[in-house]
Amino acid sequence: MFDFLVRFQAMDRRWIFLGMAIAIVLPLLFPFKMPFRVDERVQALFDEVDRLPAGSRVLVSADFDPGSRPEIEPFYRANLHHLFRKDVKIVVLTLWESAPPLVQPILEEIAGIYGKTYGEDYVFLGYKAGREVAIKSIGADIPKTFPTDSRGTPVERIPVMRGIQKAADFALIVNVSSGNPGTKEYVMQIQGQYNLKLASSTTAVSGPDYIPFYKAGQLFGLAAGMPGSAQYEKLTFPDGKVPGGGKLMATASMDVLNLGHLYIMALILFGNLAYFITRRRD
Amino acid sequence: MKRTLPLIITFFVGIVMVGEFFIPHYGYRMLTDEFLQWGLVLAAAAYLLGIVNLIQVNIPKITQRKPDWFYKLIMLLSLAITLAIGFIGGQDRQVEGAAYRWVYSSVFTPLSATMFSLLAFYIASAAFRAFRARNLDAGLLLGAAMLVMLARVPIGENLPYIGEGLGHLMNWIMDVPNTAARRSIFIGGALGAIATGLRVILGLERSHLGD
Repeated sequence: MFDFLVRFQAMDRRWIFLGMAIAIVLPLLFPFKMPFRVDERVQALFDEVDRLPAGSRVLVSADFDPGSRPEIEPFYRANLHHLFRKDVKIVVLTLWESAPPLVQPILEEIAGIYGKTYGEDYVFLGYKAGREVAIKSIGADIPKTFPTDSRGTPVERIPVMRGIQKAADFALIVNVSSGNPGTKEYVMQIQGQYNLKLASSTTAVSGPDYIPFYKAGQLFGLAAGMPGSAQYEKLTFPDGKVPGGGKLMATASMDVLNLGHLYIMALILFGNLAYFITRRRD
Repeated sequence: MKRTLPLIITFFVGIVMVGEFFIPHYGYRMLTDEFLQWGLVLAAAAYLLGIVNLIQVNIPKITQRKPDWFYKLIMLLSLAITLAIGFIGGQDRQVEGAAYRWVYSSVFTPLSATMFSLLAFYIASAAFRAFRARNLDAGLLLGAAMLVMLARVPIGENLPYIGEGLGHLMNWIMDVPNTAARRSIFIGGALGAIATGLRVILGLERSHLGD
């Protein structure tokens, strides 16, 4: 037994990898769809968006890449559904160079489902280099920061941009962020200076970083990681049906998260048990 | 002059941009807006510098057959091919089957997703090997981590009798000790950034000039 515990602690990591692979694949093959609660921060985000009157304009800063796609793309999709359903005008931009081919097709797809017209109901301003400088510039002067949209149309000729001069002209700003530049930079550079209504959807790793911003009122809502996205999906599509026939991607992935967490916890627990038993013997 | 001029520019721009927070005047705002536009142009130009730097650093390593030269060759070839496709067909990123779309969805996306996904496997391995309650501090950290991990997923929330309490406990951990620690880190970092910013503006910190 003692030898086994010693060997267990020095187990080849490929066995650990195999276990993790099983924990990921198994729930995808046999989903068990466990119910989950909605966090207060996600509820606050949903409620604020839900209170928007039709015709309001919202800025969505979609700052993520394929790496963080499984965690926060479901939020981005659900949020666009929610906004279009409320007949809100949407302006999307990105500060991540790898984001446009990812975020623009999703915007077009969901706009198509609701029969929205480009330029009238929504617009994609494209990518802007400059990270924090770009954020600062968005706070001060959007037409100067984005003189044209991603199709090359001057912003003054785009109906949805009429009257928009700076970030504070939007009813809300939603930052779908998987790192830097993202929510922290928006808060530091322009949220406080212009008193903006800012919300964030972010990765599970960044979530705890942004809780102080939520507690201080600098963010009115926060959806962190896959659970945050799944909870937003639950609120946006209470009957579980996505218009246009899409899937609740984050909700479906919650089973994977369940088993993945349990597996890591079991590893830690048994690792510690083996450690204490063998240490006492030493 | 090679040293003095950048220091004067840094001082002037730094003071003007800080002044924006204290001088709510339209004319002053126009000036800071203009500086921001210059900043954006400079940031875009930095990409070109980055490419030049990448070539300068890697070409000698490839020609001299230094370790991993083959990977550096692949990197430069990927850069050249992606750049060429972007220049020729970058506007077709919405068109299914277009070269740029293919590079993005069939090469970049799976590679990027794979790199991020590997984290799950390495985290599991690292947690098993390193997460030991060797002393009280490590034990507290481990206990808090286990609680948060369990309460963050539906299986923890749905545990009979303790599920709801577990959720409250997790929220307390995230809202109180976590927030307190993060705030102190943020405030400490911000004070450090102010001190460094002042040193740069006043010319005391010159590492950005290559000193």
